[in-house]
Formats: sequence, C-alpha cells, structure tokens
Amino acid sequence: METVAKKSSTIKEFIRSIPINKIGVKDLLNFEKSPLNLFLAALTLVFLGLFVVGVLFYLLHGHHAYNVTREHPWGLLIAVYIFFVVSSTGLCIVGSLGDVFGFKDYMAISKRAIFGSIVTIVAGFVVIAFEIGHPITMMIYNVLTPGLTSAIWWMGTLYGLYLTFMIIEFVFLLKNDMKSAKTFGLIGLLVGLAAHSNLGGVFGFLNARTISNGVFYPTYFILTAFITGVFIAYIMMGFRYKLSFPKEIQTMLGGLAKIQALLISILIFFVTWKFLTDVYGGMPNRAEVAEHILGSWTFWAEVILAMLIPLTIILASKASAYKAIFFASLSGMVGIFFMRYNLVHDTQLKPLQEMKIREYQLPPEWIHYFPSATEIMISLGGLGLCLALYYVGTKLFSLDTEH
Amino acid sequence: MANYVMVLDYKNCINCKACEIACKEENGVLLGADKHRIWVGSNNPKGEWPKLDIASAAFLPSQCQQCENAPCQDVCPTNATYYDENGVVQVDSDKCILCSYCMVACPYDARYVDDRTVTVDKCTFCSDTRLARGEVTTACQNTCPTKVRTFGDIDDPDSEVSELLRTREHFSLKSNLGTKPKLFYLT
Repeated sequence: METVAKKSSTIKEFIRSIPINKIGVKDLLNFEKSPLNLFLAALTLVFLGLFVVGVLFYLLHGHHAYNVTREHPWGLLIAVYIFFVVSSTGLCIVGSLGDVFGFKDYMAISKRAIFGSIVTIVAGFVVIAFEIGHPITMMIYNVLTPGLTSAIWWMGTLYGLYLTFMIIEFVFLLKNDMKSAKTFGLIGLLVGLAAHSNLGGVFGFLNARTISNGVFYPTYFILTAFITGVFIAYIMMGFRYKLSFPKEIQTMLGGLAKIQALLISILIFFVTWKFLTDVYGGMPNRAEVAEHILGSWTFWAEVILAMLIPLTIILASKASAYKAIFFASLSGMVGIFFMRYNLVHDTQLKPLQEMKIREYQLPPEWIHYFPSATEIMISLGGLGLCLALYYVGTKLFSLDTEH
Repeated sequence: MANYVMVLDYKNCINCKACEIACKEENGVLLGADKHRIWVGSNNPKGEWPKLDIASAAFLPSQCQQCENAPCQDVCPTNATYYDENGVVQVDSDKCILCSYCMVACPYDARYVDDRTVTVDKCTFCSDTRLARGEVTTACQNTCPTKVRTFGDIDDPDSEVSELLRTREHFSLKSNLGTKPKLFYLT
C-alpha cells in the first residue's frame, strides 16, 4: 500500500515538474492584433464552427451525409486523415534530426516540430473518428480480435503507440532531459515510420487495384512525409519569426531547404518512373487508369504546387531565399493535400464492376466522386482544430529551444 | 460441415433478374439499386444492326465469390469478416467498424453498407435464412427459371456440383488474383 502511494506521489511530482505556463482565456486573446493574425484567428474560428456543423450533419445522417458510395467507399475524410498523419510523421522526422540524431543546427525546431507532430496526429484521429462508422467498436475489437493480416490494424495500433511516445518525448524535451527525449524520440520515430509505411501498405496490399498495388506506396509515404515535415517546419518558423530569421535559424532553414531540394528531386524521379511503368505495355486496369490520372487537373496541381514551385525556388535561390521558400512551402502544403486526395481517389477510379447491372444505363467507365459539404466542413474543421491546438500550445509551452 | 460452392451455367441466363428479387425478399435486403447482394451483369451488344454481335451481349449473373483466399477477410482489422464452418465468408456485424477497407479490397464489388446495422453486408449463400432452416438451396438458385445456378457441397463427390465440375469445363472470375473463388462458371 505504501509503495503504491509512494509511486503515485512520484508520478504526481513528475507531472507537476513539467514546465507549463499557467494561462487563462485572457492570455489566449492576448496576441498582436495585426491584420494577418486577426485573419488567421477568424479563419480558425470559422473552421471550428464549420466542424461543429459538419459533425452535427454526420450525427443526423451518418454516412449519407457524405458522397461516398458502394463503388467509392473512401472519400475526402480518408484523404484528410492521411494528410494529417503524413504531416505528423514528417514533423517527427524533422524534430528527430536535432534531438535524436544530434544535428545541432536542427535543435532549434525539435520541440516545436514534436509538438506539431502531436497536434497533427490528434487532428487526424479526430477526422477519422467521423469516417469510421463505429470508432468505439474499433477500440474494443482491435484489442479483443485483432486482424493481424490487416494493414489498417497495424497502422492504427502503431499510430496509437506513436502518439504515446511522441507525448513522452515532448515532456522530456520540455523538462530539458535530452537523454530520455532521445531514447523515446528514437522509439517514437521507428514506430511512426512503421505505422506510416503500413498506411502505404493499406493501398499497396490491394491486389484488385493494380494502380496502387505494390511496394511503391509504403516507401513513397515515408519520402513524402519527410517533404511534408520540411514544408511545415518552414511555415512554423516563418510565423514564429515573422519572416525575419535570426542567424542560427537561417543556418537551419538553409540546411532544410537543401534537404528538401534533394527529397523533391527523388520524389519527381519516383513519380516519373511510377507512371512510366504504369503506362508501359498498356497493362489492363493499370495503363488506362494512369493515363486518366495524367489527364486530371488535380494531379497537375500536385506536381506544380508540391514539386515544381518549391524545387524551382530552392534551386534558383541556392537554398537561401528563406522568405520565398516559406511561401513555396505554403504552396507545397496545398500540393500535398492534392497528393493525398489523388492517392485515395485514383485508387478507386476504375470500377471493379465493369458490366451494366441496371437497365437504362451504360456500363460504368470511371467512378466519379466529389466531396459533400459535410465532408468539406469536417475536413476544414480538422485544419481549424490543428491551428487552434498549435496556438494554445505556443501559449502553454515554451517551444523555442534555448541556446 | 460442408464446403459450399455454386456452379453457374451462365449461358442459360435470360436476365429476368428474378434471382435479385428473390435474394432481397429472402434475406430482407433493403430496397435501393445499390443495396444488392447479387446481380446480373450485361453488356450492350457490339456492332450495328443487322450485324449485331449477339455473343458480346451475354448475361453474367454474379455475387460474392466466397473466395477461399478472400482479400476482404485479410484486410479486416477486427476479424469481423470470417469463414464459417461451411467455408462461407461471413460478416459479424457486432465487430464490423465500417472502415470500408473490405469494400475497397474486394475485387468483385460484392459488398455494400446495410443501413439497418450500419455495417457491411454481402451474400452469405442464404446461411441465416434457408440454410439455417435446414434447406440446401439458395433463394437465387431456387427461383431461377432456367436453372442457371446449382448449389451444393463440393466435398461430397456425389453432389450435383461435384458432378458438374467433373464433367463440364468451367472458369472463375479474376482467378489471376489468387482469390480462389467458389463460384464456377460453366462454359
């Protein structure tokens, strides 16, 4: 009994020793009232409002509030979930550069990136909770009758563990216990990478969907996560320093930009070869889908916004136009959104039922999908939640690394 | 315990869709065109009148293939999809979380969402209805005016399905995917 009491007091003591700023509503409202800040605050509130409306519609109508169908069962919310968890994994990788791998130049962003990884994955979990039909049943039967051959089981379970390790790492970072932060950071990173490649596996394991089937997505997901992490790192630093970066931050941003140029180049190389192999030989169910994708504007939005614009700006400025790269990173994140949307939609483009099964219709050629208002509202709500949590975090915690 | 399969003499199909109606009636499948466990596929005839290519307009009745190596079962995160003692692929609606992964993974588009349970539903070879009552025919088979479907235990060498598969050439749908379907189409 005494030992239990002692342990509980040690835990309480540990929690009490975490440096957290005491804040109230007043502190939250206390920010520089510049037009941009006011706009962002209003935008966040609007997104959160839309989230509430979207959730209400979902609670009233269930999946009928979404434009998902028998032929296209995964819609925008799956894409947005992937968007958030990719962001989280990417931030975890960027955060690990300093505190796990010991690259001193990148220490300045470790705490902020790790906090960002927690915020983004929480937003992802919130969004997916409104896509999964029975999230409570999921938590129960994920444990009672685990489907070990299911990539979704591994992905969900590993992401749950990953979140736990990220929180522990963040706590140690706040307490400036770098040794423990490094240990938990490394475990969290490895679990996160495993989770993330399993998310790619969710698509890669689809034997019936030849456009997605194979090794491409599990590896591509890790690459694009790193790219996303660097984009968000630029955006975070841009807002933190209002685009006037101190010397040591410039060194870090210069390094990140060079890494980003290499990563985007590899991505372009990967995507080029994916499409060449998809189209080559005219393999049924794969070549025509690839050609269809190449003719869609969302694919080119992905290529231009997430690849060409950022790469051109980094290369043209020799990785030193930090302000321009900040804006390119904003463009990059829009491109990354299209990348996720395309991935989900393109996987389901080709109908598996290719015959006519109803009278007065033609046999289906392509599956059409456009998100419903409810799906859009919940997705924007996820972004709002992300922004709000991050803002609260900047007030609650000291996210800058002391030198 | 049996190992149920279905043999379809699909060239006999006249696309009357009585099987679709019988399935809905027997198994209480909700109304709505996209709520169906079975279907009859058809193609518009190719060519121009009077030289229409009649062969291209064949009817192909189909449903869940009750795969022996079912992708929907592999991908289910909670094992809600399982093989019952008769080798039939079933969904336990208490465990289904409606992640829809099985719907994306099924190569035959054989799954849909049942709005009553808000879980995924599919053909069960009438396990909960006719088989549960001790009958050994499915509703779609029983109602078919041209006797397209034959249903039975492939492990019984004296069954009609065993006899048909021994004596007639047959094929399976998308067999290249390694799903080992238990619906056999007679040629």
